Amino acid sequence: MGWLSSSSPEDQRSQEIRAGTVAPSRAERARCWEARDGYFACLDKNNIVDALKEEKAAGKACGAEGKVFERDCAAQWVTYFKKWRVQDIQKRQRIKELEAQGANRLDVQTDFTPRG
Amino acid sequence: MSQRAMRATINVLPRAAIRQCLRSLSTASNMAARRPTTSCLPKPQTQTYQPLVQRRFKFKTVEEAKSRYRSGPFSWKAGILFLMTGAGLLFYFEKEKERMQRKRIAESTKGVGRPKVGGPFSLIDQNGNTVTDEDLKGRYSLVYFGFTHCPDICPEELDKMARMFDLVEEKRPGVLAPVFVTCDPARDGPKELKEYLAEFHPKFIGLTGTYDQIKAMCKAYRVYFSTPTEVKPGQDYLVDHSIYFYLMDPEGDFVEALGRQHSPDQAAKIIVDHMKEWKGPLKKV
Repeated sequence: MGWLSSSSPEDQRSQEIRAGTVAPSRAERARCWEARDGYFACLDKNNIVDALKEEKAAGKACGAEGKVFERDCAAQWVTYFKKWRVQDIQKRQRIKELEAQGANRLDVQTDFTPRG
Repeated sequence: MSQRAMRATINVLPRAAIRQCLRSLSTASNMAARRPTTSCLPKPQTQTYQPLVQRRFKFKTVEEAKSRYRSGPFSWKAGILFLMTGAGLLFYFEKEKERMQRKRIAESTKGVGRPKVGGPFSLIDQNGNTVTDEDLKGRYSLVYFGFTHCPDICPEELDKMARMFDLVEEKRPGVLAPVFVTCDPARDGPKELKEYLAEFHPKFIGLTGTYDQIKAMCKAYRVYFSTPTEVKPGQDYLVDHSIYFYLMDPEGDFVEALGRQHSPDQAAKIIVDHMKEWKGPLKKV
């Protein structure tokens, strides 16, 4: 059965993407980002910041979303995005703290999506 | 009546009349001074030189002159002139300041003590042709470093670069070369670059080479380069790299780095403004 499923060109392509042998196209990237956003939304709902450290809790709460995320993105990207999420949350918190202290905001954007 | 007060009165009277009535004025009181002027109107023969002296007083009566003097040198005409001159100067100075600032940025990378960014290179493009720094000269170039397996930033920045390039193309067609240099030469050959860049802009020039060539290129552009040297086949990895657009002038000298804080419109404006100030020759494509 493994032989059958891996023989279909579509499966082979997504396997190659997951392994990082080929770079995803624009559409494949978009699919990965969508899966990522879905997974992160679930983590947000369950108050999980670090999906790598809290692997068990994340697996229990967002197992289905996690599987989609891993299916649609390269394995390296999955780890990268999970780490990025931790940093991004910390950064936001830090900015909030600084703003509470009266710091001025500089116009530098590092988000995925445009603000506003 | 004092002598001075009388002279003041004389001053506001027409000269010709004064000449005629000087004798009577010297004896008359201040109030009477005005009356003789009417009775001593200049005779026709004095008309010949009259306009010449009368021009000094453009007011017909003393009241008119006084009221005019009371408003001082200010009038609505003077006010508008003042404001317009002020606004004009302000506009000019602001423009000039901006221009000098741009010039300073551009000039600071030329001549003695310039930060050396860029330099000679020889790489291959997505069609397998050799491209050197000489090929890019004569045009401005916008250089961006990235890799095709980049998860989020490069694709976004390349989309931005495509918009930026289109905006510049609209204003100054054929003067900007958009260049993408891979930091991951092991996986990004000409074929991969061609497929990847085709999704962003057909005019993008993708450059790749050997590991050492790319490493030297990244060093020349002061790009942080972290590609692992030895990667086992099939092993996936990510590359850390700087995320600036490098604007290079037609002589291959670094002009300015454009970052994520610039929107495509802002960046395009900066590029076009630099182009306007370029005095040297340009080779349009």
